[in-house]
Amino acid sequence: MPDLLLRLDDGTRRIPFEPGPSIREILDTTDFRVRSGCRGIGACGLCRVRLIEGESGEPTQNERLHLPPTLLSQGVRLACQVSPHHDMQVEILNPAPPSNWKSPPNAALLHETHSPGTGTKWLPPGVRHPCGVAVDLGTTHLCLSLFDLASGRWLADRWGRNPQQNFGADIVTRLAAAAESPAAAREMSRLVVAAIGESLLDIATREGFDPRRIANVTVAGNTAMLALLSGRNFELLLQPEYWTRPVDCAPLETSGWAAEWQINPVAEVDVLAPLAGFVGSDLLAGLVSTRFIEGAAPALFIDFGTNSEIALWSGEALWVTASAGGPAFESSGISCGAPAEAGAVFRVRLDAAGGVACQIIGDDRAKGLCGSGLVDLIACLLDSGRLTRDGKFAGGETGYAFSAGGTGLTLTKSDVDLMQRAKAAIGVGIQALCGHAGVRLKDLRRVCVGGAFGRYLDVGNAQAIGLLPPVAPEMVELAGNTALAGCCDVMLSSLAAERLDRLRSRARCLNLASVPDFGEAFLENLYLQPLREA
Amino acid sequence: MIAMTNPEMNKLVEVLLEGDHAAALAEARRLRAMGIEPERIVTEGLEAAMQRLDDKCTVESFNLLEIMLVGRAVSAVVNELYPEGVPPERGRDTFVIATLEGDVHDLGKNIAKMVLIGKGYRVVDLGKDCPVETLVNAAEREHAHAVLVSGLITPVIPQVRKVRPALAERGLGGIRVVAGGAALKQSSAEALNVDYVAETAFDGALYLDQLVRGAA
Repeated sequence: MPDLLLRLDDGTRRIPFEPGPSIREILDTTDFRVRSGCRGIGACGLCRVRLIEGESGEPTQNERLHLPPTLLSQGVRLACQVSPHHDMQVEILNPAPPSNWKSPPNAALLHETHSPGTGTKWLPPGVRHPCGVAVDLGTTHLCLSLFDLASGRWLADRWGRNPQQNFGADIVTRLAAAAESPAAAREMSRLVVAAIGESLLDIATREGFDPRRIANVTVAGNTAMLALLSGRNFELLLQPEYWTRPVDCAPLETSGWAAEWQINPVAEVDVLAPLAGFVGSDLLAGLVSTRFIEGAAPALFIDFGTNSEIALWSGEALWVTASAGGPAFESSGISCGAPAEAGAVFRVRLDAAGGVACQIIGDDRAKGLCGSGLVDLIACLLDSGRLTRDGKFAGGETGYAFSAGGTGLTLTKSDVDLMQRAKAAIGVGIQALCGHAGVRLKDLRRVCVGGAFGRYLDVGNAQAIGLLPPVAPEMVELAGNTALAGCCDVMLSSLAAERLDRLRSRARCLNLASVPDFGEAFLENLYLQPLREA
Repeated sequence: MIAMTNPEMNKLVEVLLEGDHAAALAEARRLRAMGIEPERIVTEGLEAAMQRLDDKCTVESFNLLEIMLVGRAVSAVVNELYPEGVPPERGRDTFVIATLEGDVHDLGKNIAKMVLIGKGYRVVDLGKDCPVETLVNAAEREHAHAVLVSGLITPVIPQVRKVRPALAERGLGGIRVVAGGAALKQSSAEALNVDYVAETAFDGALYLDQLVRGAA
């Protein structure tokens, strides 16, 4: 992969890219965005960069229009008009103000499959070129996609931090804060509403988009996030009996939100109803986007997280459960961990010399291992006999020290322990669902993996430590953000909306509390070994 | 407290620490056949194993699987020695332990139970998903010295906060409440409304040792 070298005041950043996108599009996925006011069509002339090194091609007509020859001769170009194919060094002349909002890499590619085709939904009259925004409201991040509702054409994506994190990183801390203080509850709802507004403003200003075209906002999320957004029934989620029962999260009033977002006053806001206290509409949306219950063969769906949601389709019945295994998949609490962002080691291989070789996301400075890197490293150490299947280092070592791009990192025994616990929770959940549905692991013909963790996951390594069932690797689909994809589907297509309703009425919740011998099953699954039939 | 090391018990301690519950059972049976009293097997065998495990956990980092395997072996030996359950003898202190309603993860609780049984205490285990009322009833019935609540997941915290008031309502305000487990040990005793938050099962057992001796 070629690198875009970005010269900054404090040095140079290396951003690897797949040839195709413009400099602006490459920078949009990072914290270093260039100012912009059109959809990257060369109309606004704001995205000025200076080329220091590399092959850039002749200036386009738009560049000649906006940049006088003196600037062009100094290497000044418009970032949206230059698509590098090889290494290139640039400097941003007109930086965008710092923002919480970024574009996901390859967003356009991701959404190619999203044309609704049939079953276009009812469009509100009186809105010119109506558009819709699909929102995946996650505990850590918000992800949004903007579409033209009539054509189904994708226009823009954004993702950013969920600002509620100041009230707690995990769901329960936030729920407890909301239950204790009505002011905190109001503030958490307001923060998310404001965040959606900011992301829309970011799209409006950077892409030259008129937000009054937005006629629909569709929101999917876990039950707690939806309850906190609507300000309703969040206190019920602290009571165990509601975890397997429906919880009403529909907002009572949304005209204030539409006004704050400056979208069309007639716009509708649809909060997709969750299934139960511990199964949100994010999971249901994921099942919609993967057309999970449309095949005749048994299939498994896993959305990895601190609270992982797992669904099993037997060919006739749909079972879902949630399993809390701790935050190891997000690499939180791991001594050598880092979130799956720039600087994270996302892939680890054994090298010829018996050491390990690391691949780092988007930057040459390694900060730590993200979830997939952790899975790889543990599988490699297991494979090379440096780690035993019960999670101990051979020879009584207390850890494994290695170098990633010049940064020294150490995997400790307690890091391994955290991954063992997280993967044991998944294993117990899979076995319990299979048991209830009468499906054996070897009968599975499809395994869908949702969520950011799945993006870089090495299937073989995940199977080796028992994180995924031992099916043929080609049966495993690393499906990315299925919650957002499904939310887009439901927003764009009435057929997808019907699929969602069907899923909701068919799904049966399994509470792992009701599983006999949970402790024994958990113990068996703590071993770092391929998943077994229960 | 350092347990006496008795050469007769070496093999039992070794297989317990390996988490080999079949070998531990066989060894316990062999010791019984030699005429050694169950009480001695607990104090000199299990307790010594607990002490060694404690040291190991302090030096190395905690590995849940190892501890669970030892726990399974210890439970097997205790069940072998006392098929009718541990008798409430004079001078042997009783603790009531539970994972409260809403939490189905009772691994931490089982580890704490194992450590306490290994130390010779009588432990009444109310299992997982246990309502606060059941816990209070048991504490009264069993004349418990303390109640122990374990929680792996944070949703159980509101239940933990209810324990002390529920005990006080029955006039059992003197019974100490100890909390432990992944979700709970991140909070303070004050925030959880308990007397002590145990960092590990061994830390909790140490607190209870002091409590029983009147030092806490």
